[in-house]
Amino acid sequence: MIPNKQHNLENASPGKKTFIGWFKHKWSNDPLFSILIALIIMVILQTLTLGFDYNSFGEWFQSWTNNWINILRNNAGIGIVALGMTFVIMTGGIDLSVGSTLVITGAFAMYLLDTGAQGILGAVGITGVPAIILTVILVLAFGYMLGALIGVSITKGMVPPFIATLGAMMIFRSVTQHFAQGYNTKVPVEFLQISSFKIGNFMIMPIIYWAIIAFIMYYVSKRTTFGRQIIAVGSNERAAKLSGVNINKVKLRVYALMGLLVSVAAIIQVSRIGSMDFSNAGRGMEMDAIAAAVVGGTNMLGGRGFILGTVYGMLIIAVMNNLLNLFGVPPFLREAFKGVIVIVAVLLQRKEKTA
Amino acid sequence: MKIEMKNIRKSFGSNDVLKEVTLSVQGGEICALLGENGAGKSTLMNILGGVLPMDSGSILIDEKEVAFETPVDSQEAGIAFIHQELNLINDLPIYENMFLGREIKTKRGSLDLKQMYDKTAAIFEQMNVELDPGKMVRDLDASYKQIVEICRAMMTNASIIIMDEPTTSLTDTEIERVFAMMRTLKENNVGIIFISHKLNEVKEICNRYIVLRDGNLVSVGNVSDVTKNDLASYMVGFDVRTESLRRVTGNEEVGKEVLRVEGLTDSRHYRDINFSIRAGEIVGITGLLGDGRSELFQAIFGADHYASGKIILEGQEVTIKSTSQAIKKGIAYLPRNRKENAILKDMDIIENASVVTWSMFSKRGVINSSRHKRLFKEQRDSLRIKMGEMTDSITSLSGGNQQKVVLSKWLAANPKVLILDNPTQGVDVGAKEDIYDIILKLANENIAIVVLSSEAQEIIRVCDRALVMYHGVIQGEVRDEMMNEQTIMRLATGGELGEEKGVHQL
Repeated sequence: MIPNKQHNLENASPGKKTFIGWFKHKWSNDPLFSILIALIIMVILQTLTLGFDYNSFGEWFQSWTNNWINILRNNAGIGIVALGMTFVIMTGGIDLSVGSTLVITGAFAMYLLDTGAQGILGAVGITGVPAIILTVILVLAFGYMLGALIGVSITKGMVPPFIATLGAMMIFRSVTQHFAQGYNTKVPVEFLQISSFKIGNFMIMPIIYWAIIAFIMYYVSKRTTFGRQIIAVGSNERAAKLSGVNINKVKLRVYALMGLLVSVAAIIQVSRIGSMDFSNAGRGMEMDAIAAAVVGGTNMLGGRGFILGTVYGMLIIAVMNNLLNLFGVPPFLREAFKGVIVIVAVLLQRKEKTA
Repeated sequence: MKIEMKNIRKSFGSNDVLKEVTLSVQGGEICALLGENGAGKSTLMNILGGVLPMDSGSILIDEKEVAFETPVDSQEAGIAFIHQELNLINDLPIYENMFLGREIKTKRGSLDLKQMYDKTAAIFEQMNVELDPGKMVRDLDASYKQIVEICRAMMTNASIIIMDEPTTSLTDTEIERVFAMMRTLKENNVGIIFISHKLNEVKEICNRYIVLRDGNLVSVGNVSDVTKNDLASYMVGFDVRTESLRRVTGNEEVGKEVLRVEGLTDSRHYRDINFSIRAGEIVGITGLLGDGRSELFQAIFGADHYASGKIILEGQEVTIKSTSQAIKKGIAYLPRNRKENAILKDMDIIENASVVTWSMFSKRGVINSSRHKRLFKEQRDSLRIKMGEMTDSITSLSGGNQQKVVLSKWLAANPKVLILDNPTQGVDVGAKEDIYDIILKLANENIAIVVLSSEAQEIIRVCDRALVMYHGVIQGEVRDEMMNEQTIMRLATGGELGEEKGVHQL
């Protein structure tokens, strides 16, 4: 009881009275604080750059909002993938296959839906809304299955995650490209509503999906057995096993969930654009997802990760892309800025620990 | 060489860890540095080793003041610090480890492996160590790793060696091996500062002692002038018991059979194991390192596979394929080497205390945190865990309190069989007594308890009877007056129960 009291005193001492005291306390104790500050600074910078050259506040606000909706919508797919990647990295693993899984699940969706000769569902006489619902279900199941397959090779087959997913990355894209070459699928217009349905005047469905999934993932990571077991496994696999955690089950579910989330991203992408470039779509997606997670404070060695941090990380990268665009930085140079952000973010977190 | 530390002060924040500590150590003596965890031993030695700066005070070597700013300064002054976590690279052979950071190179700049190998062989010969310098460090047992570290220190011409709890993970024969080496060092006029919790060892090997308590120097003197009880009471500030805690039972007071094992065999670690344990009984399993006891009980717990044999739980044969299955059936296993096998360093105290029961208490996968908190509050009081907030990191606790948290996660699962593998490893005297009390209390609550330990004293102190293992077989069972260090040691080294004569005293 006595140590309790001492502890409380100690915690309260670095004055929550002054703003600076509060700031310092937060800075060294809340791992997400520095990331949030960085994000806020970037948003302010972006707002200033956009300028206030408008006739009225309403006009300015509309332009600002539209810009933001664009940013969020463009990054919703990868943002969702980054959430799954956070879980994967938290277990101490990695998934390089996400870009290729995106392509293979996207292709699967398009073949199911195609209104032309190759349409699988059309061929068995399912069309219209039932076809769309069935497609969504099947694509999600397919993504989940592919992820589970990778999970099995990692857990039962004891293939290191890097190798298993590197292999899957090559296989999925190559198979897709081979079977999809020369075909020209047509996706029914109703399917496009999944992403293009307007709420009010805004096309924000992908953003809503992202937000909902982020919320669910946040809840899962904080409150559920599965979420906490992920951290236990990543923190000390042996100790987790000796505490009765079924390590293989946790890992399998994490990779399956990753596959599921990638298939969500695939549905969003196909329904936004109506097509998919199988040789280029999703290339580098794994690196962007890893970057978002790392900027958000996830430890590459496992055991530490924050869903909220990954959302911040994704937003930082997205806003930075937007800024570079506004500044007119040449496209080839933009990747370099992303690299700098990733390294600086990790440096900031290092500093926090030693302080 | 003589080292003096005068009026050393050190504080971390508002916490005064060392308050004006003064001590001296000379070549040719083995000086025990005693104290509970948190008494300031490590801090003091880290200052001497150049790892931490002191706030005030001075260090003198042969009457000359020195300043250590880095570990290298300290090493160059002839002080070698052998840490508890050994600084050896498992994936390199011994001779490369011996020269880590000081590699010998040929004229062309590549490693001179031959010379490194030969020099290692030479020092091994000088120190009477029978080891192949080309062996991988991974393949060495804990005592030889320790010995390699000592030899490495000798190679740098260290004249004072600090050894931080070198014997915690060693068995009795291995300890003898390290002690023999320490005696050789002493004859060569090397001074040793020996940090240990084991007072038997202190009595055996040390000639002087220094006791710290709460950052103060409480006692200094010759080991021959004091008893173990004296030392223990200096450390904790009150009298400590060393007699057996065994309950005087009418033998049949314990309950019905809970766990029986028949002919359990795995091809490598243990063969044809048979035993039976009843509710409320405390059974010790002891032996030397490599006797297979940890592997045996990890297999019973479902963490490893066994080849053949039967496990019978409450009269029913069971096959246990996973740890979660074992837990559901009422088996709990507190592993040895807490840091590697039990601590989730990224998680807080309450999570470390509830990881086992998350899935047990959860509703539709959602953790029932209020139930975990309620349960842990009770356990915190009954196990006397000294801690701050439940949401503090597990690493903020001392070793003893960490162990109690690990124990509490098992008690939360309400086990019928509780297997404790080295339960007091790296735990200070006070916490050790607490843990013994807890074990006895749990046995009274009719839990069948198995204590695995290589410390014969611990077995004698808490167990009703003990099985002694030797190279994977149960060599014999001891109980009552037969349960003494000599008999246990005889069995553990492959002797039989009957042969009373011709046994040399250790």
